[in-house]
Amino acid sequence: MTGRLRLVAQVAALACVAGLLALLVWKLAHQQHAPPVGSPAPTFTLPVLESPSPVAAGSVSLSALRGHPLVLNFWASWCVPCKSEAPALEKDYVRYRDRVGFIGIDYHDLPSDAHTFIDAHGLTFLMLADGSGDVTGSYGISQVPETYVLNREGKIVAHFAGPVTDPAFAAKFAAVLRRVA
Amino acid sequence: MIARLLVVVLAALVLAGPAAACAHPRTALSFLEGQVMCPTCHTTLDMSEAPAARRIEAYISRKIAACWTAPRIEAALVGIYGQAILAEPSHSGFDLLAWWLPIAGVLGGGLVLAFGVWRWSRGRDDEPPSAAASGLDDETERKIDELLAQMD
Repeated sequence: MTGRLRLVAQVAALACVAGLLALLVWKLAHQQHAPPVGSPAPTFTLPVLESPSPVAAGSVSLSALRGHPLVLNFWASWCVPCKSEAPALEKDYVRYRDRVGFIGIDYHDLPSDAHTFIDAHGLTFLMLADGSGDVTGSYGISQVPETYVLNREGKIVAHFAGPVTDPAFAAKFAAVLRRVA
Repeated sequence: MIARLLVVVLAALVLAGPAAACAHPRTALSFLEGQVMCPTCHTTLDMSEAPAARRIEAYISRKIAACWTAPRIEAALVGIYGQAILAEPSHSGFDLLAWWLPIAGVLGGGLVLAFGVWRWSRGRDDEPPSAAASGLDDETERKIDELLAQMD
């Protein structure tokens, strides 16, 4: 009887350790990393925050925009570098809007604050809301602003982990825009 | 003088109006700060100095001023940020595990401990007294027994 109890206790202890190990492996396997350049951009459907044209469904899917080069800019109203980046992005949007789609993805933000930010900076390109941060997470983003450029096939051709106005990125961002347009 | 007094009374009524308009006691920012997470730093608002946390605190303050109850404010925040904005997991679905696992762990640990103590105490009771327990060798024990027998 004692031997059987000991065996049961040992099996239970082993099961606990195995469960904890499985949790650790699951957590490590599900850590989100930035998708590499050349890979397909993670798909998403997000509610529209502001749009230059009426959107019937109130939300936009990335898959529906395939066929156009896209700039995905992740930002938030509480993000300080986003303020200096916003006018430059708007300028690029006005210059390339016939050839390149610009999408702003507002992350972990209050809609009222986001609208205030959009109005204050006169932004006119399509803005989507990612309040939960799920989509932003699928792009491996933890700090904003970050920008991805996608080609017509929906593959990532460039990733800028910081403001595109940063001297380290500005020239490359302009070159990538010229190339995909 | 009377006109001034009237102005002061009117101003007090206007300012006190919104406070008196609530049909229920107002919730407190300090309470909700412990219930709501900062989405960017993953701590509760009262532990965070992040800009996103400051914005949410300002939002909560505005809603408290507008007589929103704590559940209503939390529901609005969940609508914007998702369930993860709340510090406490929900009481349904997979989240239930977060509530029951600690209780099951404590109960299981208590049972294991109680069983261990029970086994240990039974083992001590059943153990025959040994020479090693008195700290004397067999020869000394024998001599003491002989001396005790002589004394009887």
